[in-house]
Amino acid sequence: MAIAHDIAVGQELPPLEKDLTQRHIDAYSGVRTRSIHTDEAWARQKGFRTTLAQGMMSTAYVSEMMTRLLGAGFIKGGTMAVAFVKPVYAGDRLTVRGVVKEVRPEKDGTRVVVEVWCENQHRQKTAVGSASGLLA
Amino acid sequence: MTEFKPLTYEALTVGEEFVSDAYLVTPEDVDTYAFAVDDHHPWFFGPSPFGGPVAHPTLVANQALRLRHSRYVVHAGLHAKMQFEFLEPIRAGMRVRSRGRVVDKYERRGKQYMVTEFVTEDDAGTTLVRGQFTQMLIPA
Repeated sequence: MAIAHDIAVGQELPPLEKDLTQRHIDAYSGVRTRSIHTDEAWARQKGFRTTLAQGMMSTAYVSEMMTRLLGAGFIKGGTMAVAFVKPVYAGDRLTVRGVVKEVRPEKDGTRVVVEVWCENQHRQKTAVGSASGLLA
Repeated sequence: MTEFKPLTYEALTVGEEFVSDAYLVTPEDVDTYAFAVDDHHPWFFGPSPFGGPVAHPTLVANQALRLRHSRYVVHAGLHAKMQFEFLEPIRAGMRVRSRGRVVDKYERRGKQYMVTEFVTEDDAGTTLVRGQFTQMLIPA
């Protein structure tokens, strides 16, 4: 898989699109009763319109985007800090986006810092934060 | 014998520690995770720069997130924040364990939160992932 070596501050990363079906959520979270992720009746009882995807799924999407950018330098040496600002529901389509904010030297190489976010099909941000990794 | 109690803000103590069971990462786990997050990177199933297949970096994140379930019955919760440092690749065949410590609890705008630091290690004690997460407690 090709890894980008010409990385510039301000560069937009290729966005990822993710359709979150209940089947994906079930596979991620494990099907349990009394779970807001996999038990629709329980989710409604807790005040949600339907089941929610785990916020952690969005960290996996960010991880995918960063691994596409930096390869091994994210798998070993990567960081991420994300806040989950809006629920993601079963049936939502997320778009994962990133913009390079900083490229800086470190003792182990060059670290690339990316502002990352996920937005739903209504263009509402659901997760925001940053991720980084080392340029090979 | 573990005695479980309902997770409440009052029951939770800053400084309390959790340890997960050891968990064997299997090729099937890697495959299921790839389906769940719709990421079928070739390094998960074949050669990689690390000399063989590696797992998705967040593969065992739920082991850390569910640490509180080792002691409490968790009614419901929402994940508010997540921080990771990916230090070493995770691979099928590793037996991994997460350890966590509650480092803060606070109330904000009528909501209750807990903050947990964690590390995930292999069976040789090598730290694979470390980080911190914040969870909102949803009352019963």
